[in-house]
Amino acid sequence: MWSTAREIAEGDLVIVWMTRDLVQPLAISSGKELNTRFGVYRHAELIGVPYGSKIGSRNGKGFIHLLRPTPELWTLALPHRTQILYLADIAFITSWLDIKPGSHVIEAGTGSGSFSHSTARTVGPTGHLWSYEFHEARANKAREEFSSHGMDEIVTLTHRNVCKEGFTVVDTVDSVFLDLPAPWDAVEHAKKALRKDRATRICCFSPCMEQVQRTIIALNDAGFTEITMYETLIRPHQVDVTPPLPTVSTIGNQLKEMEARREAKRLRQIANSRSRGDKRKREETEDSAEDQSAEKRHADEVDGSGKRVRTEVSVTQELDATLTEQPTTARRANAVTTTSDAGAGPGTDGQNLTAHVVKEETPESGLPPSKPSVSKAFPEVRGHTSYLTFAILLPASAIAEASTNMESPTTEPTPEAEVTPATS
Amino acid sequence: MDAGEGSSKNATEPVRTIQSGDTILLRIPSGDVRTLKLEKGGTINLGKFGSFYSNELIGQPFGLTYDISDKKLEVIPPRTFQEVEETDATNELIVDGQVQPLSLEEIEALKKSGVPASEIIQRQIDQHKNFQLKTEYSKEKYKKRKEAKYSKSFSTIKPTLFNVCDYWFKKDQSRLRDIRPDTLSQILNMANIRPGGRYLAVDDASGIVVAGLLERLGGQGRLITICDVESPPAYPVLTQMNFSKEVISIMSSLNWATADEEYTPVLTMADANADTPKSESQRSRVNKRKSMASALTQTREELFAGEFDGLIVASQYDPFSILEKLMPYLAGSASIVVHSPYVQIVSDLQAKLRDIPTYLAPAISEAWLRQYQILPGRTHPLMNASGSGGFILHTIKVYDDPSASSVNTHRRAKKARSEQLVSRLSSTAPEQTPGQREPAIDIAAQSAAIQMEVDPSNTPS
Ligand SMILES: C[S@@+](CC[C@H](N)C(=O)[O-])C[C@H]1O[C@@H](n2cnc3c(N)ncnc32)[C@H](O)[C@@H]1O
Repeated sequence: MWSTAREIAEGDLVIVWMTRDLVQPLAISSGKELNTRFGVYRHAELIGVPYGSKIGSRNGKGFIHLLRPTPELWTLALPHRTQILYLADIAFITSWLDIKPGSHVIEAGTGSGSFSHSTARTVGPTGHLWSYEFHEARANKAREEFSSHGMDEIVTLTHRNVCKEGFTVVDTVDSVFLDLPAPWDAVEHAKKALRKDRATRICCFSPCMEQVQRTIIALNDAGFTEITMYETLIRPHQVDVTPPLPTVSTIGNQLKEMEARREAKRLRQIANSRSRGDKRKREETEDSAEDQSAEKRHADEVDGSGKRVRTEVSVTQELDATLTEQPTTARRANAVTTTSDAGAGPGTDGQNLTAHVVKEETPESGLPPSKPSVSKAFPEVRGHTSYLTFAILLPASAIAEASTNMESPTTEPTPEAEVTPATS
Repeated sequence: MDAGEGSSKNATEPVRTIQSGDTILLRIPSGDVRTLKLEKGGTINLGKFGSFYSNELIGQPFGLTYDISDKKLEVIPPRTFQEVEETDATNELIVDGQVQPLSLEEIEALKKSGVPASEIIQRQIDQHKNFQLKTEYSKEKYKKRKEAKYSKSFSTIKPTLFNVCDYWFKKDQSRLRDIRPDTLSQILNMANIRPGGRYLAVDDASGIVVAGLLERLGGQGRLITICDVESPPAYPVLTQMNFSKEVISIMSSLNWATADEEYTPVLTMADANADTPKSESQRSRVNKRKSMASALTQTREELFAGEFDGLIVASQYDPFSILEKLMPYLAGSASIVVHSPYVQIVSDLQAKLRDIPTYLAPAISEAWLRQYQILPGRTHPLMNASGSGGFILHTIKVYDDPSASSVNTHRRAKKARSEQLVSRLSSTAPEQTPGQREPAIDIAAQSAAIQMEVDPSNTPS
């Protein structure tokens, strides 16, 4: 398919990785320029550079990574003409359909070619993929793409409506993959295309349960067996580096200190009011001012003995801050992860931020700062793609033999059925 | 590529049928899967389900269902589901706990007298007083249960990667280090395994990763595995895959000593094979040693020459130590996939790798899978599901260029300037010392900067 050379050459397709969310294909053509918000690059400068290189832009504003295309990167970078399949579904379907080097596979419709590239890679030069698309412009675009990606030998693309006209091959393929709105209309056609000398497999990919129900009836009617269905997803996890969690005894001690100080203040106030005697009425109006000065005094005392505790007011603030520290930390740590996740490309500041977060949150206990990493699923993930309905079509000989056996349901096996299938 | 009508291509390899010497998987009537080695001329005993001549299976395609009768096999039709019609009957009149009318002895006697399973079931149904009262659904369920119990039918399972992985996973997932069929499929795709590629693998998961690699290489390309034992490791999963010699021949194995460039394995030392042979047997021993030594040297040289297309790790050892060791042998843009049953292992690894610029965007994911029972009117997710298929870290090897500065450097400079401004404006801005919480204003400035990096529309170009 794509270049396997160590270095990038004229005409190569490379994948330009800017951030995880910004991955784009680039056909190298000296004379052209790549203009991104991560800098400007002359194609000519990229020729001869090893795949996997980080390249700084000429104006010093940012950099990009030049990657060797893989079907997985292509899925992230391809121009969308339709909805496409992603890694989790593609991988699972490939596995269940037993697609491997040498396999003969049908897919319909081609769509944006996400599944096609992965399948072409897996079946390799000894296998073959027949791909069908009834939307002419999409078919042409996909054909162009396959050709420029060196897939001519592996893929045959046909522009046709497979629900109406069926497939172009008979008794040929090991598996069929249908990603169409009405797969049930293509099931009988698929049966014709599947080879009859071995067990073959089919997968229908539909987002709605109602579609699945129609599909399974069609599959059952056509003689497919072992009908089953799966849903599969990839749950991405984010990793945060957090400081060790503060213990509740720290909080408890702070609360105890607060309580002690409040009690001391109360006792002082009682003493004061006693000494004031009959002036009390007048004093009352000045109470708040008095309070403040008492606090000042207290603050001075404490400041002399311990530097963490300043005034009662500030202690309360500090406590509040302690109580809210966890969410704050989490928020900051999240920010750190997000950055490094999106990055490793330009814009990565993860290292600095991580170091910073850890440093600032280091407890004053004198323990060496540890850096536990924690992980959790991303807050928003894909929840559904489609239902994957699978089924098997047994070899024709076996079905024929079995039905003979059923017609004479005695314990005596029919002679020709004894050792090998009647036809093979 | 044909522009129009593609024609049938029939030049494919012949059908792979069941052969003597194959290790096959059988689904027995209870639903369990058994594995056994098929030898010509033997008898296969399925315990209470009966026994049959092994020759009956030789030459058969995989995936058929058989009834055993008189030690011979009879292909029976695959189960299709009948459309189940709703009736007026409900379960409301069923007396709970009512025993089945046929006693065990009666059933045994019927079985001994050769009455087919289907008939035993029918008789039971006939005598089941409640049967007509049941809904069609319950009846179907009841029939299924009985069928499973008394029928002697079993099926051969095609040894696809999926099925073999599934078999091992269900038997003992810890031996696969929790690699489930879906996880395995993701690993192989993420690592971009293609025929003709050259890969490194560390497989302490009974060989499930190696099985996947060999299957997807299809005898083309190269696989070097690194193991923790002296001689080439036994990858037991390969047994059920029934690979041909050609498929396996592209694999060589080193261990953590012989994969060490600094180390000279005794076998490859020049004088180790120097003695002149005195007898024929000694000569052949020496020759064997020599060829082993040269194979080892060759594999080592191949590894050290590097430029491998990918690395897959499913190991009990510290993954970071493995990556440090093997990273030099990977080509630029090579995929690296590390699997672990534990999220902590891969998240710690991710935290380390993201500070090293030669690992591009290390990311962690978990595979999620849900299977459904498919029957008309009774489609629902299976009640029991696997809890975890483990966790995957994926990253790509890149060549760092420390002189290339990120857009962010500019932003950082800008940010620093704006922060200075903020400090000047804010009279209370304290000098920051380690251990001190930073003022709120600074946090806001940071998250603003982060926002900028994440949101593409917001970036200066
Ligand atoms: C969701 S897209 C397929 C996406 C593709 N699997 C991928 O991964 O990129 C479905 C495609 O099927 C095509 N299609 C729908 N019905 C069809 C039919 N009856 N025959 C051929 N193509 C059909 C549509 O034009 C559309 O491009």
